[in-house]
Amino acid sequence: MAMNRIVRHALILAACAGFSAPGLAQDAEKKEVKETICFESRKGASEVTKREIRPGLPNVKCSPTTDAVLWYGDPYEDTVPMGKVPLLDKIPEGHAVVKPRTEKLSLASTCTLACHNGVTPPGFPKHKKPIPIPTMEAMVPDVKDLQHGRGRIWCLDCHHPTRRDKLVDNFGDPVSLDQPQLLCGKCHGDKLRDWRDGIHGKRIGEFASTGKKRWFVCTECHNPHDVQNGAHQRGFTQLKPEPPPQLPAGMKDARHEKVHPIAH
Amino acid sequence: MSIDKRPLGEPALPASADPAQAVPKATRRDFLKAGGMLSLSSLMGTAALMAQTDDAKATIEWAEHFQKNYRLMSDEEKNEARIRLERRHSAEYGRKVTVDISGAQPGVLMGYALNVRKCIGCRRCVKACVEENNQSRGSRPGERIEWIQVLRMERGEFSEERMNHGYPEGLGIQVGGNAYTPVGQVLEGQFHYTPEAVPEKDATYMPIACMQCEKPPCVKVCPVRTTYREADGPVVIDYNWCIGCRMCMGACPYWARRMNVTKPVLPKDEMNPVTHYLGNRPRMRGVVEKCHWCLQRTRQGRYPACVEVCPVGARKFGNLLDPDSEVSLILARKNVFRLKAELNTFPKFFYFYD
Ligand code: SF4
Repeated sequence: MAMNRIVRHALILAACAGFSAPGLAQDAEKKEVKETICFESRKGASEVTKREIRPGLPNVKCSPTTDAVLWYGDPYEDTVPMGKVPLLDKIPEGHAVVKPRTEKLSLASTCTLACHNGVTPPGFPKHKKPIPIPTMEAMVPDVKDLQHGRGRIWCLDCHHPTRRDKLVDNFGDPVSLDQPQLLCGKCHGDKLRDWRDGIHGKRIGEFASTGKKRWFVCTECHNPHDVQNGAHQRGFTQLKPEPPPQLPAGMKDARHEKVHPIAH
Repeated sequence: MSIDKRPLGEPALPASADPAQAVPKATRRDFLKAGGMLSLSSLMGTAALMAQTDDAKATIEWAEHFQKNYRLMSDEEKNEARIRLERRHSAEYGRKVTVDISGAQPGVLMGYALNVRKCIGCRRCVKACVEENNQSRGSRPGERIEWIQVLRMERGEFSEERMNHGYPEGLGIQVGGNAYTPVGQVLEGQFHYTPEAVPEKDATYMPIACMQCEKPPCVKVCPVRTTYREADGPVVIDYNWCIGCRMCMGACPYWARRMNVTKPVLPKDEMNPVTHYLGNRPRMRGVVEKCHWCLQRTRQGRYPACVEVCPVGARKFGNLLDPDSEVSLILARKNVFRLKAELNTFPKFFYFYD
């Protein structure tokens, strides 16, 4: 996992260096030293850079111990309208917004430039059976032993065959990376229904049922590639907890809590 | 406090939640008036005099000391109190502090639901609450106040070795060897857990804070009636009238209330300047505080801070009177329970699981 991330960063860096003037790149590096970048729901998914909206009002406050976002000054920062979701029709136009993910998943642009450029390569199989693809397995080790679906699904059940910056729906039509719910709901219909009704998943902003909310989409909280691996509990990647509460005055540690709490 | 002088046998007036309709009783001010020592006008006169002596802080403190219980204030008096507080806190914290006094909206009854199956015990809600609500955050004993507690509970396991043991041995077992296996035991777990990563395999988590009861025991015991239930649901405290007797802390079955035993430590740059009179405005030493569902946010239509920050979306908030709201749908569709329901406190905070 960690190695994979390093590789990805290297790729992104390489891509950036290719496109921007060297002077600009240096400036960006200097700024990055001071920047506080915090993660929102899970590490590796959506991130925010801390800044001031108005003097004294930050866009987010972050945890000094875990780099997690702890407080939102502006819940709608950098969001765009969510787009249509079937049966989600009671919400007024523009009141459901999401943070775009396409840009964040910037590896997609590398993929689409080099190989998956929208053209079906010669010899592309007509059937839908999984085929081992050594180049892909080398680049994205996650796919080698994909646990999601327990061997009953593979890459092209979720990813568009020729447009790698898109997911795919039941009819083979592309689905935006910003709207993974249209893909995940293919199998997880009960979760889609609860999510649409606001019972599953996360929203921030106004609490009224017709209020303006930023909706968190599936992949902002769950990593679909390793959602069923051992390090995960209840669908989430484990993360470091915030520090515990203050001990009562005079108490040196909290060992008393671990002692058998039921009297015999 | 006041002695009931009703003649025996005369029926008591019905109890009312609205103090304006309650049986008139002696107040602090009445006491002063009756003593013939001071009147409101002379107080104001003194205040004006002190303002001329340029001691603005003293003036404000003077007026604050003699203000009414928030529920008895007229709109005008509330506004005066607001201006006083804004002035004092802005000076103290070196930035513009606003104190909201907006009341309950008609048609809104706030409710909360928490998915215990989803909670991973990360304590982000706890810290978000502190960022939002201006709690004390010092390092000496009693200086760090948190309103939400996250309880870790063992999943537990049964063992084969113990299955035929227990006591009394050999005489027909009354207490089996697996009797004290602490599986999912409620409310006797750990608050100070510090694993490398959560969620742990062998644990479940249960965050606890004020349940905003419909029949709040804390409100019943408050001798100065400074804590009460607002019309839209939350149980609030007028910190100015709190005498710090801690009766409410003893009465609350959910350990929701905290006492400022020291002068609260709130650094200027960490202070949240958007406050509500009954909510997160800075507190003083010797008063009790607790969760109020971020009144400064929810009265303006925004989600509470803990809801917004929970990384797994375990926390849900909404209007119980709106059948389309998140909480209403959860009550309609999911398996829901109230904590310590047997105490008949009727919380508006519900736990549920998928
Ligand atoms: S933030 Fe959410 S997951 Fe974390 S402890 Fe609080 S309720 Fe549980």
